[in-house]
Amino acid sequence: MDIQRLKESFARVAMHGDAVPLFFYSDLFLRHPEARDLFPVSMAAQRDRLVHALAKIVSDVDNLDELAVYLQGLGRDHRKFGTVAEHYPWVGTSLLATLAHFNGPDWTPEVAADWKAAYELVAQVMIAAANDDAGTRPPFWEATVLAHELRRFDIATFRLATTEQLDYLPGQSVSMESAERPRIWRFYSMANAPRDDLTMDFHVRMIDGGALSMVLTRGLDVGAKLRLGPPVGALTYDTGPGRDVLLVAGSTGLAPLKAIIEQVAALDEPPSAHLFFGARTVDGLYDLADLEKMAAGYPWLTVIPAVSSDPSFSGELGRLPDVIARHGSWRDHDAYVSGPTSMVEATATQLTALGVPPGQIHVEDFGWSEP
Amino acid sequence: MTVTSRNGKRLTPDQVQSATFPMARLGRRGYDEEHVRAFCALVQRELVTLLNEKAALWEEVDRLRRRVLGDPDEQPGYRLEDGHIQAVRILSNAQQTADRYVADAQQYSRHLAEDARRRRDQVLAEAREHAERVLEEAHRQATHAAEMAISEPEILTSGDRRELTAELAYLRTFSDVYRTHLRAYLEALLRNVEEWERTEKSAIAAARADLPFLPADRLP
Repeated sequence: MDIQRLKESFARVAMHGDAVPLFFYSDLFLRHPEARDLFPVSMAAQRDRLVHALAKIVSDVDNLDELAVYLQGLGRDHRKFGTVAEHYPWVGTSLLATLAHFNGPDWTPEVAADWKAAYELVAQVMIAAANDDAGTRPPFWEATVLAHELRRFDIATFRLATTEQLDYLPGQSVSMESAERPRIWRFYSMANAPRDDLTMDFHVRMIDGGALSMVLTRGLDVGAKLRLGPPVGALTYDTGPGRDVLLVAGSTGLAPLKAIIEQVAALDEPPSAHLFFGARTVDGLYDLADLEKMAAGYPWLTVIPAVSSDPSFSGELGRLPDVIARHGSWRDHDAYVSGPTSMVEATATQLTALGVPPGQIHVEDFGWSEP
Repeated sequence: MTVTSRNGKRLTPDQVQSATFPMARLGRRGYDEEHVRAFCALVQRELVTLLNEKAALWEEVDRLRRRVLGDPDEQPGYRLEDGHIQAVRILSNAQQTADRYVADAQQYSRHLAEDARRRRDQVLAEAREHAERVLEEAHRQATHAAEMAISEPEILTSGDRRELTAELAYLRTFSDVYRTHLRAYLEALLRNVEEWERTEKSAIAAARADLPFLPADRLP
């Protein structure tokens, strides 16, 4: 396999942009119409993902160790989409047809052989990882809605029960799919430490125009079914150092931190913990009643609600980074920060400025911005 | 933005040259980001179309060249491969149309939600302001009533009694005025909600009527 030749032929194809994945998927669906059901109605985001994955594979092709880790993850991830080993040759045929089409006169038998060998390797690694994964857990978990509560017109909490055990660490999240929006997966954090009865709580906030969040906030009835992917995420509680804990939650970023509080509560000697819960207006403090109940039960926990733009609020006023700075330097704390992108970034910057070492700052970016 | 392109309409160089964008909202610099992004999407779509056409033309040229050179596989007649490429093109167009519909619907719903959120904040602010005004007015009227009660000539009692009478008059008037305002306000609010429900129902009915090709139970 000539790696340089492979990269050059990919560069020739990549300059055609969106036309490449468009051709690929049309070719795939024409050869195997049944594959269409594995994808959402709108393919725009899917095409971007394919191009990114291909670009990463080609750019890392001479760094096989790193590439293998990436491909193994990709292979495991594809299980929840319903991908099986039988599908891989379908993709290979359409991929080669696409590359041939856009390489035009430069698609020589040698280039074709390079790509065929490369794809077979990629498929082999992905299939092997998926098979290993299949030995330990299902492709996805079926879950039923047990309770759903609209806390504000755009914020809801709900409880699910899975049929099979889903092992996760407090602070982690799972991807979620609803039959109302087939093949659209979004990540949500569990708001509780794992329970024996297989139930899990989630907090969801409606994103304006959001594909799944609208369904989860306003269109979810008790009894509705959801599918969950395997747990991911690194915002997990570090039990090692035994330092005191600072938790900073913006809006529904509260969910993973609440799970961490439950985990800390189960320790023999819980460290002292401060939870700052911030929102733009008072009605955004959707879970304050429950948090105050927790604080009343746990002497080591202090809950401080903060509101940034509602002067009628009697508690802390201001943005979370400013509010936490007023309460100390937090240098000896392990900090866990979760919420909208801008809030997470500003809080991490503030903590660094206050002298908290980077290794003690753990963040989870929810990827949306406060409207 | 002055340039629009829908199915069939192609972007021309002079449209790119003469494109104008509205300025960003107050407090932000440069052009309005959403309009610029939308324009870039148009340009990208056009480039994809052009590159597709180029690839198709290259294939056509290659085929014709081989036919001229006497390649036995390239004699006139139907070729399976041509049919496949054509089908790929048709399916790609259909997919792009579907993508656009979904993106449009999502954008529409985003705008609606943003608008509703803004209006909600407005209504809440107005309500707060209104409540403050009502309180002030009730206080003013009640103070006046209290003063009147004290100055009534026939009530000639001790200081304590006079104070209580004044306070009673104050509270009675305050609660009367407040209750009247509150009732008027709540009634107005209810009328608002009813109207809102009516328009929402007719809007949904209209939307259903506009989509005859979808079974009604698939709609949100």
